[in-house]
Amino acid sequence: MAKHPVSLTVNGDEHDLLIEPRKTLLAVLRDTIGLTGTKEGCSTGDCGACTVIVDGKAVTSCMVLGVTASGKEITTIEGLASEGELHPIQQAFIDTGGYQCGFCTPGFIMASKALVDENPDRTEEEFRHALGGNICRCTGYTKILEAVLQAAEEIRATS
Amino acid sequence: MSEYSVVGQKLPRVDAVEKVTGAAQYGADVHPAGMLYGKIVRSKHAHANILSVDTSEAEKLPGVRAIITQDDVPSGRRVFATDKVLYLGEPLAAVAATDPDIAEEAAELIKIEYEVLPVVQDVIESIKPSAPRLHGDATKDGPNRRNISSKIKELSNSEADDNSNEIRKLEAELEKYADEVYYNISAESHTEAGDVKKGFAESDVVVEDTYFIPRVHQTYMEPHVSVASADSSGKITVWASTQGPFAIRSGIAGTLGIPLTQINVIGTTMGGGFGGRFGVIITHVPAVLLSQKSGRPVRVQMTREEEFLDGRPAPGCVIKLKTGATKDGHILARQALAFWDSGSVSGASIGSTIRVRGVYKIPNIKVDAYGVHTNKSGTAAYRAPGAPQAIFAGESQLDDIAEQIGMDPVKFRLMNMREEGDAVPAGGSEPKVGYKETLEAVADAAGWWDREADDNQGWGVAVGDWTNGCGPGGVYVSVHEDGSARIFHGSMDITGTDTAITQIIAEILTIPYENVTIRRGDTDSAPYSTGSGGSVVTFTMGNTAKLAAEDARRRILELASERLNTNEDNLELRDGAVHVITADPPKSISLGELAAFSLSTTGGPIVGKGSFARQPSTPALAAQIAKVEVDPDTGRTRVLKLVASQDVGFAINPMAVEGQIEGGTVQGYAWAMMEEMQYGENGNINPGFVDYRVPTSADLPTVQSVIVEVPAPNGPYGAKGVGEPPITPTLATMANAVNDAIGVRITELPIKPEKVVEALKNNGHEA
Ligand code: FES
Ligand code: FES
Repeated sequence: MAKHPVSLTVNGDEHDLLIEPRKTLLAVLRDTIGLTGTKEGCSTGDCGACTVIVDGKAVTSCMVLGVTASGKEITTIEGLASEGELHPIQQAFIDTGGYQCGFCTPGFIMASKALVDENPDRTEEEFRHALGGNICRCTGYTKILEAVLQAAEEIRATS
Repeated sequence: MSEYSVVGQKLPRVDAVEKVTGAAQYGADVHPAGMLYGKIVRSKHAHANILSVDTSEAEKLPGVRAIITQDDVPSGRRVFATDKVLYLGEPLAAVAATDPDIAEEAAELIKIEYEVLPVVQDVIESIKPSAPRLHGDATKDGPNRRNISSKIKELSNSEADDNSNEIRKLEAELEKYADEVYYNISAESHTEAGDVKKGFAESDVVVEDTYFIPRVHQTYMEPHVSVASADSSGKITVWASTQGPFAIRSGIAGTLGIPLTQINVIGTTMGGGFGGRFGVIITHVPAVLLSQKSGRPVRVQMTREEEFLDGRPAPGCVIKLKTGATKDGHILARQALAFWDSGSVSGASIGSTIRVRGVYKIPNIKVDAYGVHTNKSGTAAYRAPGAPQAIFAGESQLDDIAEQIGMDPVKFRLMNMREEGDAVPAGGSEPKVGYKETLEAVADAAGWWDREADDNQGWGVAVGDWTNGCGPGGVYVSVHEDGSARIFHGSMDITGTDTAITQIIAEILTIPYENVTIRRGDTDSAPYSTGSGGSVVTFTMGNTAKLAAEDARRRILELASERLNTNEDNLELRDGAVHVITADPPKSISLGELAAFSLSTTGGPIVGKGSFARQPSTPALAAQIAKVEVDPDTGRTRVLKLVASQDVGFAINPMAVEGQIEGGTVQGYAWAMMEEMQYGENGNINPGFVDYRVPTSADLPTVQSVIVEVPAPNGPYGAKGVGEPPITPTLATMANAVNDAIGVRITELPIKPEKVVEALKNNGHEA
């Protein structure tokens, strides 16, 4: 299949790639660029495991074609910690035990980051609903919500 | 203050950073150079004869490197179907190609001619003599028709006693074929203690109902995946997402007739398992065969849809249950007849039917259970396999009896609960248990005793028991010159077990938790370890870790005695150093110094070894209370409160323990209220998250967990298995709460809004 030139900025690095138009952004990130932190749980847009941030918005990367992401700025779980410091959301997931198997965690952290960046003042109930596109089978969500609330609090305090 | 400094603490997990940064390597993250992508070719029919399989078109597709069918399995063990398929999605062949999309295209190009056969997907239908046979004559030596007929007759089948028609219709059908045998039964299990007939006769209240529990999928978030690489010497390496690498190694060896030592299984970080990640032929064997044939590493990764079609979910079942009690609240007898849907192969957890006995003193009990074939994939364990189903029936019925005799459901349970020394119906006597403590704890925490409910609100309680498994394991621990310790073992981390092992070793060696690291080896390097399922890990590996640390401590004291020129009796290991007890001024030597010293001694470095296989484990109880509100017009149930207590013996890491309780409870909630694998004319019809809904954070409120600690005599620090109990009571907890809210007893799960509306209508409610 013919390949198309695509330029992406992922976690600050520019990538000039040739990719088939049928490849999803998820496949490009994982297979072409080799950033496997973003997970595939369903490939139908229903679990949120593949959530990344594209131009500031959380998207399920299994539902986006790689070619349409050309020219965009993408942040994946690998790009969240800076200079060896974990992002407050990552730290909050550790402190509260907000993960078990960890497979949903990159998606939850990216989805939470987009939410908290947009508005850290949400109530628990609001976060519960806003995170309704992400599935976690292990935690029952109790500690995930604790993590998100802790991170939101911290971000509010420092901003 | 706890007498311990590391165990019993809420410490961050050892794998924390890799899990939150995306660095953890799961199965699909493994990508050896030159890797091909595998795809399994699956049956498009739920029951059909295979007339031909034509791979010629697929072979011509550029990028295809290997195609395999059953002909490529030298041992002849069934990996792919040949003459007949028994369920939609059953594997028929597999391809490997240079790109996943090419592999998928190639799979589509393989032409299969089918002769479609009639399908049976309901357990009750499948027992009827008129049902299509899945295995021809192969199961004709199973129990005969008369046998089941007589079992049904032992229970009442009048409408007045049990308003479900299913079993009655089955009996009538069986009556018509007086001398026939039938073939779709795969297994049976019978248990009896006391005399149920007499027990029922002496009872003031007898309740009988039929309960329907659907097949549900474990829905671990990481679909099955394996990467296999066969090198030219014949050595096979398999990166497997599995709960049990050693079981996978012997499974592959057995299936393919390859010596054990030719296979190395590397367990990758596991994206959930819940019992469903032990299968050998689902992806591991096809990956190995494809790699052998192509000479390249191959990854076989299931999609979510394939998971639903060809995973090994939890069996559904139909349980007819009868319970008798006196009017002052003593349970006298209980009898169950259960039909488990084991799918196309036997293996449903039918032995778990005895769990209808719960944790109660029931002097007379009888259980007859059958595994029944249907045109579905086989089943596997899902968190306390078989228990949630049996306990749903048992605990639902208990509430009905409590209601009839006018007793509080918690008091009724407490009054009948077994204690240490009491006889377990059909099973020995009870060790020290914490049943009553656990139920009382949840009742107190939930505010049961002064509970209030508005219109259409209700409270439900239920308890579920489970006993953890135990298995072999080995652990090494080395102490290094900087005073740190390193653990080496072979068991898969199942949400925090590596952390528990690390805490135990840090505790015994008296060094900070941060100074202990843990590493899992592959099957070539690590000591044998039992699979991480059956809540075995903390119990088994915790005991193993203790032995290893104690062994290391022995060597430490020996070295210190040599170094400090004093008797070992006069030494004490504390705060990462060995101290001379009677020395004044104080005298001590650090573990680091001892480790450095050890390198030039005759005895050598500090290496502790622990190896362990079996100790009796102790039953654990999970008790839960829910408060719900049901909208009688829409049938929707909203959870207002969900409180879960559990006797964990001793919580080595309370944060991890709470996580297990919360997660297991939500899985139980989902089984009660939402989840059901549905089957139509041609197999599973909801193979995706849109139609098979699992709960999200928007579906329910925070689960409140309550830890109860009644130590297990043989558990490390008293710990019991934690992972499985929490799912066991929730199905009944929810059904009991709905019943309390609106006065309808739902006996068929899941409790979907339509069912509630229907039941209310039958009760005379106008919507
Ligand atoms: S993998 Fe993209 S939403 Fe599930
Ligand atoms: S931690 Fe396992 S799916 Fe969320």
